[in-house]
Amino acid sequence: MSRSWHVILGLLLCLWLPIATADEQLTFPASPRPTTPDSATDGEENAGQLVVHGALDTPIMRPILEDFHRRHPGITLRYRNLTTLALHRRFLASPADADVVISSAMPLQYYLANAGHAMSLDTPAARAWPAWARWRRELFALTFEPIVMVVRRDIVERFGRPDNHVALLDLLEQHPKSLQGRVVTYDPVRSGAGYTYAIAESRLSPRYWDLVSALGLVKADLVETTGEMLEGLANGRYLIGYNLLGSYARQVVAQDPALIQIIPNDYALVTQRLAFIPRLAPHPVNARRFLDYLLSETGQRVLAERTPLGAIHPALDGPGTAAALRRSQGEALHPLPLSPGLLATLDELKRQALLSRWQREYGRDRSSPAR
Amino acid sequence: MSRGDSLYRRLLTWLLLPLLALGGLMVLQAWVDARRTADRAYDRLLEAATLAIAEQVQWQDGRLWLDLPPAALEMLATDAEERVFYALYDAAGRFVTGNAELPGDPRLTLDGRGEDRLFYRDVDWQGLSLRQGVRHSRLEDWQLTEGFEVRVAHTREGRIALTNQLLRSNLAVVLAMAALAVVVLLLAVRSALAPLTRLRRAIRARDPRALTPLELALPRELAELRETLNELLARMRRVRANQERFIGDASHQLRTPLAGLSARAELALRQDDPQAWRNALEAMQATSARTARLAMQLLSLTRLDNPEHHPEHTPLDLEQLAREAVRRHWSECHGHGVDLGLAGTDAPVVVHGIAWELEEALTNLIDNAWCYGAHRITVRVGGTPPVLAVEDDGPGIPESQRRLVLRPFHRGREEGEGSGLGLAIVDGIARAHDARLVLADGPDGRGLSVSLHFPEAAP
Repeated sequence: MSRSWHVILGLLLCLWLPIATADEQLTFPASPRPTTPDSATDGEENAGQLVVHGALDTPIMRPILEDFHRRHPGITLRYRNLTTLALHRRFLASPADADVVISSAMPLQYYLANAGHAMSLDTPAARAWPAWARWRRELFALTFEPIVMVVRRDIVERFGRPDNHVALLDLLEQHPKSLQGRVVTYDPVRSGAGYTYAIAESRLSPRYWDLVSALGLVKADLVETTGEMLEGLANGRYLIGYNLLGSYARQVVAQDPALIQIIPNDYALVTQRLAFIPRLAPHPVNARRFLDYLLSETGQRVLAERTPLGAIHPALDGPGTAAALRRSQGEALHPLPLSPGLLATLDELKRQALLSRWQREYGRDRSSPAR
Repeated sequence: MSRGDSLYRRLLTWLLLPLLALGGLMVLQAWVDARRTADRAYDRLLEAATLAIAEQVQWQDGRLWLDLPPAALEMLATDAEERVFYALYDAAGRFVTGNAELPGDPRLTLDGRGEDRLFYRDVDWQGLSLRQGVRHSRLEDWQLTEGFEVRVAHTREGRIALTNQLLRSNLAVVLAMAALAVVVLLLAVRSALAPLTRLRRAIRARDPRALTPLELALPRELAELRETLNELLARMRRVRANQERFIGDASHQLRTPLAGLSARAELALRQDDPQAWRNALEAMQATSARTARLAMQLLSLTRLDNPEHHPEHTPLDLEQLAREAVRRHWSECHGHGVDLGLAGTDAPVVVHGIAWELEEALTNLIDNAWCYGAHRITVRVGGTPPVLAVEDDGPGIPESQRRLVLRPFHRGREEGEGSGLGLAIVDGIARAHDARLVLADGPDGRGLSVSLHFPEAAP
């Protein structure tokens, strides 16, 4: 399989199936000699293998991996892309497979680190990492991706721009007929990400349930991925998309003048990709080097400039960084805290309770005057 | 002075070692206290978390139901970013929900009775060192009572950090106290031993010939030493006085016959009669013989009085000793018309002693006896305990004089040829043999009996 074909396929997948279901692999074989003068000169350390498992699509991951490989050409680098759930199950089944595990499923990553599956990383970059973006020195948030709304330009022209949740609620409640079936959001039952956002939002504000009920009122479509939502919005099937992954939406909206991305100005959740080195990592030296690279200014610059994922490194500013986003959105950004609260998200009884509440609110009969 | 024998070192060792042991105990106690305090502080979090979870437990759809409050887990995480585990178990011990199947507490039995109970303990769980809190509680509904158990656990990093912090502050206090104690101890020992140095200097500064008592203010323990020293000095003064008197007496005793010899020679030289010269020479020979004997006696007395003189004692037969003495002196006594006899036992009487000294004693006693006018002298040997005695029928010594005659140069009578040393020498010999010298009346109440009572011979 040629590399260019791989890239094209990856790009397609990136655009249309952001949370990929395929089991893809990228391999960068070790080259016999350094190709650039600035690559690490220490031959002994600059060799061996590195296996990265991630729930991050290969086209997005590729620039990062390429840059790392250019700096450490002696390392045979393998990247395997899995879905968050497959990644989690695979790790539990064989915890000594991967050297670095990256996933956007924050509760699952936290669960693994909490249970002692992660190795501590003690490098200057790790020590300097912002406290809010790491847990101990084991679990590191690498990216900064807001959860956004995407609306079609014509809806803004007809009903005004829903800049925040209250405006969206009003819009849904005032125009249920026009919006019937034209709104799309995550299905919390089928999508882990959707469930995580739902539980976070319900903790942020009790009025979230009014919003769920309003979504039920307009018979909003419930889908599994941001890709599906973006596809429906692009082809005009949906007018409003709620809770899309900003890192994916940004690219699509930039290329489609019919779409507008809105980061709500009352609150916007921020999700982060969490990475850790498994305690049983087969190549711990290379694993530390790779994670250290991801936390370094160099790696984060690649993340900011060549991927849609937001960079966190405090020294970086400009488009695609947390600092720039925070400046424009202010206090409205709510990164999901790296705290045991994430464990509560995984509690099965809690999940059942929340989902039944969600479905009840969604299915509430709004025509009755009791409301 | 050898290293181990320094009083200073000995005192310091015995004071510092217990102090160090005590310090170690205090540090250990401080650590136990710090750990307990930290546990007490952090156990409150386990208590609050279990309570927060227990309050959310409900009975729903025919089973235990928990709407887990995230805050309950977040409070367990603390600043130290602890790993957090929780689990809910039903009355039958079945896992209901949680992120880890935590072990139960053996002190808790799910008997469904009683009120809320909460236990803490340290557990090792899957390689992690955890502090666990287990709360046993019950749902009280209208018709239903259902027991359940909330188990929470977190890692110990925060506790360890707090323990170390508390320990560090305690340790600073303990170390400061120890340093202070050591300094005080050094000063105390130094000042306690200062009088010893003063005493040493006072003794060193003395004139070696001076025997005056030491006058020095000292603490009680050293004052005793000073008194003992002063007693020794007093004894030495007495000894020296005795020696000076003895020397005076001895020179006087030697001067008299020498002066006599000189006068006799001078007198004879004025005469021309060879018969007178001969008479004078005979008299001078007798005097010089007596003087020679006196000098001999003085010599032996000096030797006996010498405390450094410890000759070897050998087993002796008193019987044989007495028989030989009688044989030696018999002809002399016979010439003077004195009846010398022996009253012995048939068996040998063995004592440990020095032959020539005992012979000297017998000679002195026999000579004394006939010198002082005895006509009948008996040398007596007794068996158990061994006794060597010389009895005579002379004038004897009144009881009041008996102690005095033992002193050198004391003579029972002014006339006679005795030197006054005989009994003093016998007394010295008796003491050298650990024997008791007894002066008593002779047989039939007349004369004198001088006897040496030897200690019972060792087997």
